[in-house]
Amino acid sequence: MLEVLEGGIQTTVQDYPGRVGYLDLGTYPAGPMDHFAFRVANLLVGNPPGAAALEVTAGGLKARFHDRRTLAVTGADMQTTLNGQPLALWESVAVKPDDHLEMKTVKGAGFRAYVAVSGAFEVPEYMGSRATFTVGGFGGFQGRGLKKGDQVPLRRDGAPERLVGRRLRMDLRPRYGTQWEIEAMRGPQADPDYMTPADMEFFFSHAWKVDRNSNRMGVRLESHKWQWARTGGGVAGGHPSNILDNGYAVWTVNVSGDQPIILVADGPSLGGFICNATLVYASTWKVGQLMPGRDTIKFKEVTIDEALTLARSLDAAVSERSIERG
Amino acid sequence: MSQTTRENRAVIDTLPANGERPTVVYRYAGDRFVLLEYGDMVLDLTTNFRIFGLNDALKKARLDGLIETVPALRSMLIQYDSLRLPTRRLVDTLKTLEDTIPSVDELNIPSRRVELPIAFADQWTRADIERYVKYTRQDAPNIVNGHNIDYIAKYNGLKDETEVIHYVCATEWWNACIGFWPGLPFMFPLDPRYAIVTPKYNPTRPWTPEGAVGIGGPCVAIYPVASPGGYQLFGRTIPIFDLQQRNPAFKTNPILLNPADRIRWVRVTDQELESIREQVYNGTYRYKIVGYEALNVKSYLGFLDSIKNEVAAFQRRQAEAVKHVAIP
Repeated sequence: MLEVLEGGIQTTVQDYPGRVGYLDLGTYPAGPMDHFAFRVANLLVGNPPGAAALEVTAGGLKARFHDRRTLAVTGADMQTTLNGQPLALWESVAVKPDDHLEMKTVKGAGFRAYVAVSGAFEVPEYMGSRATFTVGGFGGFQGRGLKKGDQVPLRRDGAPERLVGRRLRMDLRPRYGTQWEIEAMRGPQADPDYMTPADMEFFFSHAWKVDRNSNRMGVRLESHKWQWARTGGGVAGGHPSNILDNGYAVWTVNVSGDQPIILVADGPSLGGFICNATLVYASTWKVGQLMPGRDTIKFKEVTIDEALTLARSLDAAVSERSIERG
Repeated sequence: MSQTTRENRAVIDTLPANGERPTVVYRYAGDRFVLLEYGDMVLDLTTNFRIFGLNDALKKARLDGLIETVPALRSMLIQYDSLRLPTRRLVDTLKTLEDTIPSVDELNIPSRRVELPIAFADQWTRADIERYVKYTRQDAPNIVNGHNIDYIAKYNGLKDETEVIHYVCATEWWNACIGFWPGLPFMFPLDPRYAIVTPKYNPTRPWTPEGAVGIGGPCVAIYPVASPGGYQLFGRTIPIFDLQQRNPAFKTNPILLNPADRIRWVRVTDQELESIREQVYNGTYRYKIVGYEALNVKSYLGFLDSIKNEVAAFQRRQAEAVKHVAIP
């Protein structure tokens, strides 16, 4: 059991790939905003990469352990300490009853950290997943973020200290900055039928500022005066961003009126606005590390073949071969 | 590959129209989704029926690497594992299916019949509409006598609330897709003689009770939970979403309705609704759902043809009415 002393800004239980298979009933998958750091944290403590672990947004989590376990923290640097001593990220360590984990508010690059504990967190499966869906208030720990006094159960762990001292290879650790390049593919609704080629050229060259009003539903970018290829939305509405409602791909860039919004883990599954580009699997983890109000994004256009090459190398990085002991 | 395809990098492939089948466009939505679209951007239930026919055929094809599909009005979003199922193979399979699925008028779409009780212009939607007048907009033209139902009547050239109620209950409502929020249905009248329309709220209403039923444009929706909203409300029904799964209807998941369900409204009083809602939550109410039914498209199209003149007459009546009604 993990006892929560302070829940922080937003700390949720997630699993990967989340609640898959319910898009046609209106439910986005939830799951981690940064699936790379999430899966590596699990790998380090010997869990299946998709097992239930904590996503700590912007910091502030304080917790006490009640068992002997292996712990790994990955992702953004929140000056994390264990019993007051600095805790190295991307490494597994042993914890024992009464050990204190403390994370401060994130100051440097990155925005989310992941806390995996050997055995994994034990919360009920809801619609086939343990991920917290913040919009619907279901899944995870009582469908909400953790708060002071919560006692989050852990599953049984047969060999809690077997996996101490595992590290992600240095060359595979992501280097977070504040100016991001994020790979995306054009479409489904881009140029020349919905936007002009100049609109798309601007989209793929501008350094987009991440709006303060961003969360697990959508990451908002700044508004822009698009040229648009159409004068209106026809039967779907007066504005050229309007279309007849269609399903939204997870991690797509939705342009509602003037504003682009990346639809992320807890987003809306369907709607009536165009999506001019969609992030590729291997790049979506970066979105989880964007700090609202500070970071900028440049979207880099890739082809499907380039996307698959990136996907293979990302998946290869989430494997035992990436772990060293020391 | 045609000239336009080469220039449109969002488009993977296009299948030209053939007889009664509209053009099919296959679009990239990243490296894990494909968006398929039929024909032009027009609202036509026949196109939606075709989507369900294709969805059925695709699921039966049991394609390795296919993850899930999201049928919508004239499109279908497909999630797939591109490392197992190459995009090209997925699109080629979809194109082949177009040649093998029956033409739309030969389709029998599996479609449950769902009967839902509704209290019209009920006290709960009335309370939230009153809050809107008090705190958001005092002079909203879409609120007449403290509710939206008289506005819906005026906007469609109907006499009064009673005629709106008659219109809503006279047709079955086709659930063309679910989305935006878990379990939220997008429903259209199967009998276009009763196809009422309305503009949406301006600005949006900050409160809507769970179970509220409203209309925006031609589409009727049920609010699965209390939330903001923009549709003109006309009544309240029983829960279509229950997180705690307190009724057998929510046994497998908290969502009641499926795409391609047909909903029929049955009028009840506020008190009756309250009592049914209690029975829903104490588990004794049995939702009135008939499964194993199908919508026969051919007979439906025949029906549409038989009522053409009445539909045109109602549309003229609406067009005339709109001239005299303020838009929110």
